[in-house]
Amino acid sequence: MNEIQYVGEHLWPGLIGQGLNVLSFVAALLGAWAFYQGFKHRNDNEGASWESIGVKSFIVHGLSTLVMIGIIFYIMINQYYEYQYVQAHVSDDLPMRYIFSAFWEGQEGSFLLWMFWHIVLGFILLKKAGKWRAPVMLTLCLIQLFIGSMILGVYLPFGDDIRIGVSPMMLLRDMMAAPIFAQANYVELIKGTGLNPLLQNYWMTIHPPTLFLGFASTAVPFCFAMAGLMTGDHKGWLKPVFPWALFSGAILGTGILMGGAWAYEALSFGGYWAWDPVENMSLVPWLILLAALHCNAIATATGYSTRSTYLFYILTFVLIVYSTFLTRSGVLGETSVHAFTEMGLENQLVAFILFFLFWGVYKLATSWKAIPAPKKEESLSSKEFWMFIGALVLLFSSVLITTSTSLPVYNKIRQIFQPFYEGVVIAEPIPHYNKYQLWIGIFIALLSGMSQYLRFREINFPKVRNKFLIQLGIILVLSLAGTILMAQWINAYAWQYQLLLFAGVFAVISNFDYLVRVMRLRFSALGPAFSHLGFGFLILGVLASGLNKRFISSNPLVQRNSIDSFSDEDYGKNILLFKGMPMFMNGYEVTYEKDTISGFTRSFQINYKKLNPQTGAVEETFTLSPNVLYTKTFDKIAASNPATHHYLKEDIFTHISNLPRADTDREYAQEQEDSLKYILYEFGENEAFETPQYKVTVGTVNRSPEHHDYQSEPGDLAIGLPLMLESKKTGEVKSMEPMLVLRKDFLLTFPDIINDFNIKVKLPQQIVERYFEKENKLDYSKFDVLKDKSINFNGYEITFETVESNPTDLNYKSEEGDLAIAAILKLKDKEGNEETAKPIFFIRGNNSFSIKDYNAPFGLHTRFESVDPKTNSIKISVAQSKTEGIKLPIEIAEDVKRTDYIVLQAILFPGINLFWLGSIMMMLGLLISMFKRLK
Amino acid sequence: MKKLHIIGIIVIAASIGLLLSLSGEVATYANFEDAKMDTGVVKIAGKLLKDREMVYDPATDPNYFSFFIEDTKGIAKKCVLLMSKPQDFEMSETVVLTGSMKGEEFVATDVLLKCPSKYKDEEIALRNAAS
Repeated sequence: MNEIQYVGEHLWPGLIGQGLNVLSFVAALLGAWAFYQGFKHRNDNEGASWESIGVKSFIVHGLSTLVMIGIIFYIMINQYYEYQYVQAHVSDDLPMRYIFSAFWEGQEGSFLLWMFWHIVLGFILLKKAGKWRAPVMLTLCLIQLFIGSMILGVYLPFGDDIRIGVSPMMLLRDMMAAPIFAQANYVELIKGTGLNPLLQNYWMTIHPPTLFLGFASTAVPFCFAMAGLMTGDHKGWLKPVFPWALFSGAILGTGILMGGAWAYEALSFGGYWAWDPVENMSLVPWLILLAALHCNAIATATGYSTRSTYLFYILTFVLIVYSTFLTRSGVLGETSVHAFTEMGLENQLVAFILFFLFWGVYKLATSWKAIPAPKKEESLSSKEFWMFIGALVLLFSSVLITTSTSLPVYNKIRQIFQPFYEGVVIAEPIPHYNKYQLWIGIFIALLSGMSQYLRFREINFPKVRNKFLIQLGIILVLSLAGTILMAQWINAYAWQYQLLLFAGVFAVISNFDYLVRVMRLRFSALGPAFSHLGFGFLILGVLASGLNKRFISSNPLVQRNSIDSFSDEDYGKNILLFKGMPMFMNGYEVTYEKDTISGFTRSFQINYKKLNPQTGAVEETFTLSPNVLYTKTFDKIAASNPATHHYLKEDIFTHISNLPRADTDREYAQEQEDSLKYILYEFGENEAFETPQYKVTVGTVNRSPEHHDYQSEPGDLAIGLPLMLESKKTGEVKSMEPMLVLRKDFLLTFPDIINDFNIKVKLPQQIVERYFEKENKLDYSKFDVLKDKSINFNGYEITFETVESNPTDLNYKSEEGDLAIAAILKLKDKEGNEETAKPIFFIRGNNSFSIKDYNAPFGLHTRFESVDPKTNSIKISVAQSKTEGIKLPIEIAEDVKRTDYIVLQAILFPGINLFWLGSIMMMLGLLISMFKRLK
Repeated sequence: MKKLHIIGIIVIAASIGLLLSLSGEVATYANFEDAKMDTGVVKIAGKLLKDREMVYDPATDPNYFSFFIEDTKGIAKKCVLLMSKPQDFEMSETVVLTGSMKGEEFVATDVLLKCPSKYKDEEIALRNAAS
């Protein structure tokens, strides 16, 4: 077979990009080796030169990766669809503001994003890590090697094509076999798939980079921990690592929180947290990181817990890699709504986890004995003891979440030995996780409040015991009172929840008291107290918005189906709204007012009126506009985006949960249309007739009709036929006006529907022939008119107002040498309505021509025949379209399904702002602590 | 023994206890026969029968949607989902329902759809092709 000479391909970016890809990998390898040598020879002369080779290698690694990312952006912006990555994530109609989102939509791009942040952090470490530079950078280079291998795209020469990674520089034709590649000009023919419409919003622009910076930043404490173990300086690393870890805690936390905010604000998940495996596995490393931070604080203050600090920093990073494995290997498949598609990288990902897990555990185990710890054990009355208990509780929480979340992994492993093993799943994830994590919340909230009043290395507790107990007693009493107050607002219906409520209130009051009264807002205490205060608020927010979340979209009057064994909770999450018909639900009057389409988005305007429960008077009115996003083919819904009305106290969350099928499925809509039985009726203007269900009265033909789907263009000939319908059953009367437009050679029909009557009416095309007569059938009358004089025709008064030279008109194309004038005629009917006509007369060469004017509303045709220069009069001829006696064809279908409704879901989230406030305070507290530790 | 050791042992014991109790929280995908025997909530994975009747009439009840699925044993039964009809329902091959049997019907309160290659289009879209 001959090699095809493809045309239109741009191969050079791919060649350079792949070259840089390999260079970046090799440089990371060299860097790891040089830093290792630098570390080994740190006490002799060779060390410095090895280290400087390492620094240079890392700079080369960093720059080549950055340029490679630049090249990927270049081919994406230029839409070089011959590249698989471009074809899969970009399309012609993708707005430029989503180019970043498109870049990290795919696995390759998000691996690069991860590497990018490691490089940024690495550059800072090169400058700031001081004597820790060589061992820290050694580990970072190793991490970069593993991630780099995911996008390397190199085949090993032995075995059957062992592939290492998937390169984003691959050509489409190398990735898949398709008949299209037999054509040399295939590049012109293909188009991009584009960014998943679900991901086309600003959250996709800000959430991934933040989360990946969070991921990347956990590598730094890991590198420091490994450096501590390698050098044997078990004390020295504790101080420089601390601000890095605090930074990581703040950013990773913010990244996770943004995910929750995205789910809540822009997706129709109906909440900010759903215990989805992907969410869980980003939360777990953060919890372990918090445990590590507490141990780090203990270790720097007292010397206890150094081993735990090591363990937790190592675990944090390994768990980040594990979470990457879960989301990217496809193992979650069935249990998560947001995992990546598989790429065949499972083995590499497993190697990534196992390498760092075994290396970390091995180093820790072999150094265990050498890690210093005070001989005397922590006293029960010391701060370090209770802080450590807190860290243990966090670990405990992580173990529980990880185990439940890892069931798919357990199933996969068991299936290796037992191919027919079916696999188990958590039956009801949300209650399952809530049930256990509730206790974690209680413990942490109580500990975070109480331990504030204890001191590190307390040796004189008997002296302060009374003071401590009195303080604690007062706080407990206050908290109890606070809990009773809060319980008026938050309905905590089970004793476990009441206990959690108490713990939350306790955390808020005790930390507030500690911060303001005990520490007098001193900077040194600000960070931890702020974070713990935030945690208290978070607990209250979770309880309020989670426990008391209420579906208000239910109407108790709606008839229920005959399943009576289910509780009220199972019913009434959705209500049906007909357009323009107000509906009562839970203290609100809700109306679906209208919908508008722009681009692929269809927005619905929903009006809420809050009613006073006693008087029924309207207290407040607001409008929400949830929307749905259609796919490019306009036949399916890609995303349903909620709209939320925010109060300080609560949120009202609204989204469209269903639409008429005819609106979302074009085939079905066509089927429905085809299945309608239209009956043809023929009646003249102002006549009446009956259909099976309705009495119909025909109005007079409207020559300038309006229809919501019709946008008039110059030159259109439109007719509408007003109809009055009276229901035989109810006597209700409604009117409608189907219309028809003749635009050049096209015929456009605009049927009209009365949804309440289930009736659809359209005008068949015969009406055009019957209505717009041929010119020669018209019966013209000739007149001579003087300027400002009038004539009478069929009851119309026609006044010749003036002459316009060089007229412009749609039907008249002027040529060089034309002599053209138009007569401006004022038309007036018996009722006094006025219109203007502008027939044109022109001389071209030796011939004279006239262009008639047709005035649709009056049905008058006017011609400008000639000018009499002697008398200053003009000759015009006038005719009128005849409509009397014409039988108008009308097609009517009855029993048509309604399509003017939406199914709406509305949820009330009380106190959700406490959740956001609490979470933001926690992150701020971490940042404040970071600045404190940088000093 | 140190206090922390004692606490450590308590924590480990609690972990083991809770993890053992996990077995009560998990479920395999059941079939209709299992669901009949079981009084509690089960998960059923089944093939959506697209040629059988699907009823969603929001005018009558926007929280009632019925359809037929065939379980792993090949038994087909009517299922009722007590919520609005999920988008793209017709597109899915397999559905996972959480609920219990009520007489001859399986009444579900939750559903998970598995659509064939939801996020990835294996075909290359061509320019000027029907779009």
